Amino acid sequence: MAINVNTVYQTVLLILNKEQRGYMTPVEFNKIGTQTQLEIFETYFDSLNQQLRVPQANTDYADRVVNLDEKISIFKEFGNAPSISSSNVFNLPQQLGHNTGKASVIGMETAPTATAGATTQYVIGNNTAAPPQTITAAQVPNGVIQVFGNGSLISPSEYTINGLNIDFHSQPTTGLTLIVNYYPKQFYRLGQVLYQVGALNTEELQRVDRGELYHLLSSKLTQPTTVNPIYLYENNQITVYPTSISSGLSVSYIRKPLPPIWNFSLGGNNQYLYSAVSSYNFELHPADQTELILKILLYAGVVIKDPEIIQVAAAQVQQENINQQS
Amino acid sequence: MPIPNGGLITETNRQYYAGAQQFNTAATASVGQTFTSTFETNLVFGNSDPATNGYNLNNFKLYTSADANTWTELNPTSAIASTTGKNTAVIVAVGNPVNIPLTLANADVLKDMTVVNASTGVVYGTVLADSSNPWTSISCNITTQIPVSTDLRFQFASPWTEAANIITVNASLPASTYLKIQMNEDTLWDMHGDYSYTRLDDVINNFLIAYVGPGKLIPSVKRTDVIFHAKRGLQEFSYDTLRSVRSQELSVPESLAVVMPQDYVNYTRLSFIDSMGVQHTIYPANALTLRPYATPIQDNEGIPTQDSNNSNLDGTSKITQEWDANNPKKISGAYLNDYNVADIYWQNYYNGSLGQRYGLNPETSQRNGWFIVDDRKGLFGFSSDLKEKLITLEYISDGNAYDLDLRIPKLAEEALYSHILYSILSTSVGIQEYVVQRFKRERSAKLRNAKIRLSNIKLDTIIQVMRNKSKWIKY
Repeated sequence: MAINVNTVYQTVLLILNKEQRGYMTPVEFNKIGTQTQLEIFETYFDSLNQQLRVPQANTDYADRVVNLDEKISIFKEFGNAPSISSSNVFNLPQQLGHNTGKASVIGMETAPTATAGATTQYVIGNNTAAPPQTITAAQVPNGVIQVFGNGSLISPSEYTINGLNIDFHSQPTTGLTLIVNYYPKQFYRLGQVLYQVGALNTEELQRVDRGELYHLLSSKLTQPTTVNPIYLYENNQITVYPTSISSGLSVSYIRKPLPPIWNFSLGGNNQYLYSAVSSYNFELHPADQTELILKILLYAGVVIKDPEIIQVAAAQVQQENINQQS
Repeated sequence: MPIPNGGLITETNRQYYAGAQQFNTAATASVGQTFTSTFETNLVFGNSDPATNGYNLNNFKLYTSADANTWTELNPTSAIASTTGKNTAVIVAVGNPVNIPLTLANADVLKDMTVVNASTGVVYGTVLADSSNPWTSISCNITTQIPVSTDLRFQFASPWTEAANIITVNASLPASTYLKIQMNEDTLWDMHGDYSYTRLDDVINNFLIAYVGPGKLIPSVKRTDVIFHAKRGLQEFSYDTLRSVRSQELSVPESLAVVMPQDYVNYTRLSFIDSMGVQHTIYPANALTLRPYATPIQDNEGIPTQDSNNSNLDGTSKITQEWDANNPKKISGAYLNDYNVADIYWQNYYNGSLGQRYGLNPETSQRNGWFIVDDRKGLFGFSSDLKEKLITLEYISDGNAYDLDLRIPKLAEEALYSHILYSILSTSVGIQEYVVQRFKRERSAKLRNAKIRLSNIKLDTIIQVMRNKSKWIKY
């Protein structure tokens, strides 16, 4: 469920090169691709808001709200929010990865080692290449992991990851070289905040701002309780009321799409050869492939200073938007 | 249907009727086993040691049994949670770690157990590591010196704890035995009949599910707004719709006054109870006397005097003193030896007075006594003929005083949804007035419906009353 980065790049090059209009380097493509992906991603939320105000057809595949939700669902996450020093202040789930101080995409490649007596289980090792990079079991749930076998991406349905172990459902081919890439997820938007401890019912927390907080705490009828808790969201931290809540918080959130990478090795004639193992696909829903290419072309038109490309691409994008929202 | 199967009932018959939930312990003896309560009522935990004050806060007890037939409460001195021993003929000095040389023990000594004097309960220290047969020496952190040849008991200060409806047993539970949560009697009273109510939290969640969302009249609303309107609705309904009359059995003291209940909003009736247990309504003395809100001490010219803080000096009410000292029978016109038991066969007095009491004021001609509300002091005052009498105070609260109160009879649940819906729509911008009026009428109709339902008018009761039609009431 992703858009192949090589397909997009080749299509863009094909259109650009037609009539010798110009060329886009991989570095330019990666940067424009990231920009375009974020642009399309951000439109999901405004479009969803717009469509929620319009009566929908309750028919398979034609309900625009459902279709938009399907696109957003790729980026939906749910995780535990850790308390800071057992207080009522909580960090966001993804911050575990950020606290390492490393780049947002580690791109770690590591040769796994088979554990003794279990040929289907492999331990994610360390990347010894400079700079050496490691991940911890705690970081794994906060990142996207891709496993390549002999350079080909292995479907996530063929394995499960527990801690730092990759458990294959069936034994991989003998002699297969496994490469593991880890990309920490980046927090984008906060969704629901839930509180659940022990065997008590799960309670949803209501988001309030500091102006409301004073009134809510002062009113006996609306004072927050463990059954009706509230929270402030400030400085990437969640402050929960009543203050007796210091654990059991989990949040649903939207993560940012990971930047696409079209990576390469140099061929014999110094030409760019696509390297799937170190590349990363666009994470957008395949339904957005056309719009993605058109928007990249639009930016490409700016790069190569060709107004005709910009006009054609802009017109196409506009037409598509009209169709989707009318 | 003894086992909950997806309906609204989630407790087994045993949980509901007996207040008990039984568990099997693990197949091997171990410490730290956990057991999850599935009672609708949350467990309340203070302490697992009956010797502590916190134990009285518990709303349940924990029992163990080898055969699920004979049950023993699990507390610090239970046989499975403690063991005894005797240190040999040496003094065990304070220190950490210190080995206690033992001569006798009857079960495993476990880490974190407390070392106490078996007879006096003096605490000597804590056990540092598990120890099993032959128990010749126990490693401990000793904080108080142990005298020679002292009978010791090794016990858990808290053999079990509870948090969020999960019980953790610190003691070692024997393999394949049984454990039982037993609710206390007063908790069981609260549980019985609870099915006729819906918790306010459920009402709030149901409202948010069914009435709020895209494409609905309320596309979005803050949960705190719903909570506010739900609680306000519950308050309003409590005053005139719900069967939320509370009552207290009290006796009138020498001071002829009783304090208003903590959750008092208004009274519905005060009665005294005669020796047959029959209640007689006590009437308000509104027209006869009053309790002054302030009784300033006046100077010779009638001006209130002040204290050193420039506040009026307040004296005691002479009106109250005189009312308390009077004989109410002088007001009611009753005979001094009046008899006030609901015994229709006691007719001596009535036989002699039949037809002789013309001209009495019906408002004051009653022998049940009077009460007066003293808002200044938060008291009910009574007339002197009620001194030391047993009385009942029936009053209404607002349904928000305690967590247990936050529930609505199912017969009025729909009315509460309508109330919340109307309250939110009527305070929202952009809602057409006809829509607001529609829901105002709906709220009114559903509230009326709830009142009729809750007034408990049954056909056989009506029939019984209507039978009086056949009675001759005139000679």
